[in-house]
Amino acid sequence: MIVFRVLLGVALAHLQVRVRQTLVATLGVAVGVGFFLAVSGMMVGSQNDFIRTLIDSAPHIIVRDEQRNASRQPALDAFPGAAIAIHHVRPQDEVRGLKDWPALLADARAIPGAIAAPSLNGGVSAGFAGRTAPLALNGVDPRLEGRLTNIEDTLVGGRLQDLEARPDGIIISKPLADRMGAHVGDTLVVSASAGAVQRMRIVALSDPSARAGFYAGDTTAYGLLRTAQVLFARPNIVNQIHVKIADPQQADAAAAQLEARWGYKWESWQERSRDILNLLVVRNIIMYAVIGAILMVASFGIYTAVSNSVTDKRRDIAILRAMGFTGRDVEGMFLIEGLVVGVVGAVFGFAFGTLLLEALAHAPLTLQGKPLSLPLDRGPSQYFLAGASSLAAALVAAWLPARKAASVDPVDILRGAA
Amino acid sequence: MTAAIEAEGLTRVLVDHAPVTLIQDCSLAVEAGEMVAIVGPSGCGKSSLLYLLGLLDRPSAGELRIEGAPTSELTDAERTRTRLERIGYVFQFHFLLPELTAQANVELPMRRLGALSGREITERADALLMQLGLGDEVHRRPDRLSGGQRQRVAIARALANNPKILLGDEPTGNLDSANTQIVIETFQKLAHEEGRAVVCVTHDAQVAAAADRRLSMLDGRIVDGE
Repeated sequence: MIVFRVLLGVALAHLQVRVRQTLVATLGVAVGVGFFLAVSGMMVGSQNDFIRTLIDSAPHIIVRDEQRNASRQPALDAFPGAAIAIHHVRPQDEVRGLKDWPALLADARAIPGAIAAPSLNGGVSAGFAGRTAPLALNGVDPRLEGRLTNIEDTLVGGRLQDLEARPDGIIISKPLADRMGAHVGDTLVVSASAGAVQRMRIVALSDPSARAGFYAGDTTAYGLLRTAQVLFARPNIVNQIHVKIADPQQADAAAAQLEARWGYKWESWQERSRDILNLLVVRNIIMYAVIGAILMVASFGIYTAVSNSVTDKRRDIAILRAMGFTGRDVEGMFLIEGLVVGVVGAVFGFAFGTLLLEALAHAPLTLQGKPLSLPLDRGPSQYFLAGASSLAAALVAAWLPARKAASVDPVDILRGAA
Repeated sequence: MTAAIEAEGLTRVLVDHAPVTLIQDCSLAVEAGEMVAIVGPSGCGKSSLLYLLGLLDRPSAGELRIEGAPTSELTDAERTRTRLERIGYVFQFHFLLPELTAQANVELPMRRLGALSGREITERADALLMQLGLGDEVHRRPDRLSGGQRQRVAIARALANNPKILLGDEPTGNLDSANTQIVIETFQKLAHEEGRAVVCVTHDAQVAAAADRRLSMLDGRIVDGE
C-alpha cells in the first residue's frame, strides 16, 4: 500500500506537469464514457421496453392442442428395435381440443404465482353492411384474460369486462371496424366454418395507436369463451390455455417442464419471440462494438499521454531503478498514470452522460402526433459497464508504454546521460 | 574484517554486435570507513565498473561480494532489494525528480523500503537535509535550488535508507570549487565518521586527492592502486 502511494504520488506529479496532454486524454475518456451512457441507455432502454411489451402483451406461456412431433405408430412401440418401416399410413383424424384440460389448467396454476385461463380460438367470418371479413376469434374468460395480458390498455370505446355483461359481445380491431364502417354498438353477423351463425355486438375496439399495450393484429377478435364454444359447436372444449407466471424469465423452463409431462406444445414467450430476441442480441453486439470503438479512440489519448511521459521520464526511470525501485514498480507507476486519467475521465463522463440522458429524456419528440418519451435505461449497471470499460481501455492503453518503461535498462540511460 | 565491497576478476563484455570488453579482470576491496577514488581517462571503464559494484549491471565473469555476501546468484529482485537497502548512488547530474520537492525526493527510497512510518520518513528526510545544510530548502523543488544544493539533496537521497556503501559517479563534475569542497567534506565525513564505504569515480584531482586510496584504470583494467 505504501509503495502504491509512492507510485501514485510520482504518477500524479507526472500528470500535473503535462496539464494539456492530461486534460485532452481525460476529456477523450469523458466524452467516450458520456456517449457510452447515452447510446447504451437508449438502446438498452428501448430493448427493455420492447421485451416488456412482448412479455406483457401476450400470455407468458400458451398451451396449444398440438404436439411437436406426430404420434408414433403403435407397431413401433409394440416391437421396439424391430426393422419396421411404415409408409403411406393415413393419419387418424384427431378430435381437436385439449384433452383433460381442467387438470392441465390446474397444473399450470400450480406454478407459483401463476394465472391460467382457458381459451377457444378459431376462424370465423364477420359480415356488416354487405361487407365480410375473416376474423381469428379468441373465446376468453374476460376476468382472467385481463389479468394475463395488457389487452385492456389497447381498447377504446369499451372494456374487456363488457363481454361478461353481453354474452354476444365481440371486440374487433379499429382498422377493421373502419374498413367495414362499423362502430361500437353495431352488430356483426359472425359465422363459423361449422355452420353456426350468430349476431354479435361490438362492445369495444382494439386500437393499434394505443401504445400502452401490444396490438395483436387487424383480424384478431375477442369474445366470451362460452359464446365461442357455441359458435364453433364445441361445448366444454378449449384449444388453448394461457398462462402468466410471476417471473417471465422462467417461462422457458416452466414450459419445457410441463410439456414433458403433458405432451402438448407449451410455448413460452421466448420461443414465440426467438427470432426477435436473436435480432436483439445481434443489435447489442453491434452497439457494444461501436461503443467499444469510441472508447478505444478515447484510449489513444491515454496511450499518447503515457507514452510521451515514458519518453520524457527515461532519466527518472533510470534513477528510480538505481535507487531500488523494481521494473514492476516503474510499470505500475505508468499504469497508475493511465488509471488516474481513466478514473477522472470516467467520473466526468458519468456527469456528461447523465446530462445527455437527461436531455434525451426531455427531448420534445413526437410520433404520429403524440408526444413520445424515449425509453431510457439509466440504471447503475450502465454506469458500471461504462466505468469498467473505460478503465479497462485506460489500463490497456497505459500498459503498452508502461511495459516498455519497465524494460528500460538504467545503465543504458545513465551511460547516455554521463 | 569483511570488506564492504569485494570484487574478484570482474569482467564485463557487451555482446550486442561485435563483443566489446568494458571491464577486464578487475579486483578490488573497499573497507567500511574508507573513501576510494577511481580515476582514469574518459572511456576507460570507470563508470562501467561503478555500475557493476552497485549491482546495476551484471558482470560477464568474476564475483562481487557486498558485505561478504556473493551476488552472482542473486535474482534481479534480490539485486534491486540489495541496492535499496545497502547502496546509495550519487551521479554527476543530480537526477532529482523535478516534480517533487527536496523533501519528497529524499523520502522516495524510504517510502519504497517501507521500514519506517510516514512521520518517521519525513523526520529523517528533514534531518538529512538539515545535516547537509538544506534545512530551509526542504519544500523547494529542484528548479528552485542551486547546482550545489541539488547535489546535496541527491546525497541526502542516497543516504536515505542508511546504506553502508555510497557510490559516486563524478559527483562533483558539475559543481564549482566551493560546492566541490562541500561534497568532498561530506563524503569524507560519511566514510570516516559514519563508517561507510565510499567509492567515487572522478576526473577531479581535488576529489582524488581527498580519497584515502586511488585506483587508476586504463582500457577496462585497474592498472594502479595505492
